[in-house]
Amino acid sequence: MSSLHADLCGIPLAHPLVNGSGTLDALAAGTLGLAAFVTKTVTLNPRAGNPPPRIAETPSGMVNSIGLANPGLERFCADHLPRLGELGVPVVVSVGGWSHDEYAEAVRRVSADPATAAVELNVSCPNVETGCISIGTDPDETRALVELCRSLTDLPVFAKLSPSVADVAVIATAAAEGGADGLVLVNTVRGIAIHRDTLRPLLGGGGGGLSGPAIKPVALHAVHASYAATGLPIVGMGGLANTQDCIEMLAAGATAVGLGTALFRDPGLPSRIVAELPSELGRRGFPDVAAVRGIAHQIDTEAQPELDGLQR
Amino acid sequence: MPLRERSLGVQRVEQVGAYTLLVLRNDGLEVGVPGQFFMLQADPEPAAAYLPRALSAAWADEREIAFLVDVLGAGTAALAVASRVRVVGPLGAGFAIQPGPSVLVGGGIGAAILPWLARTVGEQRRVVLGFRSEAHAICAALIDPEATVVLDPVLVTEPLARMMPVAGTVYACGPDPMLHAVAALCAEHHVPCQLAMEAAMACGYGACYGCAVKIDGVWKRLCVEGPVLEAGRVLAAR
Repeated sequence: MSSLHADLCGIPLAHPLVNGSGTLDALAAGTLGLAAFVTKTVTLNPRAGNPPPRIAETPSGMVNSIGLANPGLERFCADHLPRLGELGVPVVVSVGGWSHDEYAEAVRRVSADPATAAVELNVSCPNVETGCISIGTDPDETRALVELCRSLTDLPVFAKLSPSVADVAVIATAAAEGGADGLVLVNTVRGIAIHRDTLRPLLGGGGGGLSGPAIKPVALHAVHASYAATGLPIVGMGGLANTQDCIEMLAAGATAVGLGTALFRDPGLPSRIVAELPSELGRRGFPDVAAVRGIAHQIDTEAQPELDGLQR
Repeated sequence: MPLRERSLGVQRVEQVGAYTLLVLRNDGLEVGVPGQFFMLQADPEPAAAYLPRALSAAWADEREIAFLVDVLGAGTAALAVASRVRVVGPLGAGFAIQPGPSVLVGGGIGAAILPWLARTVGEQRRVVLGFRSEAHAICAALIDPEATVVLDPVLVTEPLARMMPVAGTVYACGPDPMLHAVAALCAEHHVPCQLAMEAAMACGYGACYGCAVKIDGVWKRLCVEGPVLEAGRVLAAR
């Protein structure tokens, strides 16, 4: 049986499973057995979110347009954060904004609370017109924002990146140059759902973000490329739905793995993966989670003949 | 608050006019109260539908949990032919049953949750139902053989208006325009009214923020605040 312990930028995790930002309200539903809790992105001012419909089922996934609904920094810090501190797992606070100053204010405020273990900079939300997403599509903006936020806190700073860019490794590199301690990959992929009868956009916000198994290869690629480019610790997520998916994500270069849309349909999933993971890693000869990390990058000629058998 | 999750065997599936009655063998799942809901997905999971479907029970006890389903897409179609169904719940807030007489109002597939409510509120009840066709109206027999049934284009608010002012509580489930009309009628006559509302949900337990409805004037999660709401909380939003 292999050890599941993981170290994420100095944050000890009982196992490598966390949630993706915005895919769990731990105050409403508990932590579902996850090793850390990542909050829904909080912004300086409260946001009501986008008008419904906000979700649409699509092949092997869904498109959402929630629009960063959140109570705002003030109420989050006064009301939510103290209660999140009692969950018994490290709390990563995800912050967003429409200017560098807004991010800076959020980073300062949430870092001052002992409940916060790390800060995630959401520079990749697809459901707002400006701000978050536009920063994460520009390497210079990303570098500058990370640099600013890095200087404002002693906690680990993660950059949450979008796969909807020409070359995610360029953005990942910029985040690393700005001093990011780690990366979170990927946010949802930009998408749109069309109503089958009206032939108009189905979601109230127009476009949205695609998630679920449909985007797993996109996520694996983004993590693979960003690991190769930066070597930074990575929380890998995007369409992971079972134990095998999580192992593949670790192999692509992730230090920890995030579950998101899969939690919606199956809140019992984290506990089942945590139960299966030790024997699955052991069966493959891995002593612990760290031993799997990045193994997809090794060119292993010894293993080829066996795999090539089918192709000959 | 741990989420309860079970895979339940299908006891029987039968056509009730235009709708499909899905009866699951209960295997120790707590059933909650009328108006709460469950997330249902065929087990094993269907290839064509990724998300579970949020449905309130037609009735439920320690032996069986029944759902009246309007089979529309891949998810509900898979439920109708499943031999097992994965069930998470009960979720959300159900009806707060008040003592005294009651009027149950249902529109279309909204009637699906009324059989259990009818049994729970007892004999001092009247039932008003509206459907788009005779085939859809056949399910009225599951609720109350003496129900007043109207068919499109007649609206349920017509017979309901003739009953006003009702001494007691109005409980309603149906499409949004019907619920708003029922709520407005009740408000006009100072009759307490509870609405079981509907919204597309991915999770059903507060995680996805997908089921936003204007409640108390702002977008709130229906799965957390409802799905049954005191009518004033919805009317205030308009």
